[in-house]
Amino acid sequence: MENKFDRGSALSIFGSDRREDFMALVFALAIAFGVYILVG
Amino acid sequence: MVYTKKHPALLIIGVIMLAIWYLADSGLMAPYIEHLGGKKYKYLSEMTSLPLYFGVIAAVIGAWQLFGNHKEGHWDYYSSSIAGGMFILLIAMVVRWFVAPEVAVVSKAMGEVGATGAHIHKLLGLNYVVLGILAGIIIVNVFRVPEWAQNGVRLSRLGLKTGVILLGTLYSAAELRNLGGLSIIMIGFFVLGSVGMVLWLGSRRNVPNSMGGVLSAGMGVCGVSATVAAAPVVQAKSVEIAYTIGTILLWGVGCMFAFPIIGNLLGMSHVQFGAWAGTGILNSAQVAGAALAYQPDGIETLKVAEIFNITRVLVLPIIVLWLAVWYVKREEHATGVNAGRVIFEKFPVFVLGFILMFALSTTGIFAPAQHYKGKYFDNNIKESKMLTAEDVSLLQSEAGKIQRADQQEALGRLIDNRKIMSPDDDATIRGIVNAKLLSKDANGVLKGAHKAVRHTAKKIKAFRDWITWLFAFGLVGLGMQITMGSMKQAGGQPAVIGGIVGFTKAALSLIVVLMFVHEKI
Repeated sequence: MENKFDRGSALSIFGSDRREDFMALVFALAIAFGVYILVG
Repeated sequence: MVYTKKHPALLIIGVIMLAIWYLADSGLMAPYIEHLGGKKYKYLSEMTSLPLYFGVIAAVIGAWQLFGNHKEGHWDYYSSSIAGGMFILLIAMVVRWFVAPEVAVVSKAMGEVGATGAHIHKLLGLNYVVLGILAGIIIVNVFRVPEWAQNGVRLSRLGLKTGVILLGTLYSAAELRNLGGLSIIMIGFFVLGSVGMVLWLGSRRNVPNSMGGVLSAGMGVCGVSATVAAAPVVQAKSVEIAYTIGTILLWGVGCMFAFPIIGNLLGMSHVQFGAWAGTGILNSAQVAGAALAYQPDGIETLKVAEIFNITRVLVLPIIVLWLAVWYVKREEHATGVNAGRVIFEKFPVFVLGFILMFALSTTGIFAPAQHYKGKYFDNNIKESKMLTAEDVSLLQSEAGKIQRADQQEALGRLIDNRKIMSPDDDATIRGIVNAKLLSKDANGVLKGAHKAVRHTAKKIKAFRDWITWLFAFGLVGLGMQITMGSMKQAGGQPAVIGGIVGFTKAALSLIVVLMFVHEKI
């Protein structure tokens, strides 16, 4: 699959799957923290 | 290179979202809501909040992108993805709130299909998930994704991964005990079987070892992630990775649409369908798509499917090790590959995130640790929620209709204490209700007693909402990545082998699920 993007890949804006995984983890933890603090 | 476009698209998207919010909040949309289902229409609360928040964000950033000055850098690169992200979100909103309900209205107007007793949109699974993916496919293949949105479309996988991590909050230890053993047995059998079958067929059809190796990981484990992880181990060429991903996409998209239809025709339970989808469909996103398509208004099927999917991903290190040994043995020229290092470098961290979130959830910080689907048992209830004297006499008068000793005892404790005393008693009382052993009025009393001691955790409900939207976002974006070109990449031997193995796995796993999976949630 040719990569026409000079940063990231055709499937992701991040340079590697590992970085995308960590960003997903950061977002998920941020959402979890928000839910923990703000809900209920 | 400056990535942020001086384009009005994001500002316009923000204005459209704010317009949706205003029309819904002011009541101007009421006649249309009435047409879409009136009181049964359940998205009004979403429409009076989400478009306001995201509309303001899109309008402010859109104005800054249109009128501001932008310099090359990380902020410029990442902020350039916001327009495409909001574009996907707007499509997800329109499909979920308007298109899918409109399709349901038309489908209901057409009447039930033959003797199935179901409407065509239910049978075909035409809900917001499937329609969202279709919208993405149509946009990319008919109109093409606009240049200002291309960076944002590449956020869809991030949304799906974030959703999978958050799914960990919904599982309780009790559920994992119920489903974990089943998933390990099924996944162990079908993953190892699929990998072995692809490798065997590959050697029979003279497919290069690198191609067979990478295809076996993709077909056996979890699609694209496994393909990427296995590629360096078998020294796969980029075109072989592309063929594998094309095969997975082609087969997976077909399964995503076919599985819910077959599940509906066979009347499968949520657990059965989740187990089948989590075993038979190749790619994580398509597993989620099929599960949500089967049960768009609940998350039970998705939870079961994801347990199977996660179990499958956890098998990845074993498969990578197997392929490393297999490839080195078959390829004399192959240089030594450090399989342990490949696993460390390629293992998807979001799976560990799921486990981390599950571990947090089991500590009880989001809901009582024994929660089940976000619901939990607590019989410290107010006097007003307890049975009245009339309720007690009604149950006493009908207690003789019950034959089973455990049911008699549970009912006796309910009558003595005027409330259900334990989770086990609660399950037994529900059994009495389901079996319709008592009169309608007495059953109503039992249902009331059950509701009084079952509570919904607000935090878990909030997580469910987040997961729904993250998956909706990710799957619309996924649709925008399914081009006719990527489908054509599945042509040739990989498609033949993939088709044989995929069909065998789907058919055998369906038989196993129907024969052996009878758990209920």
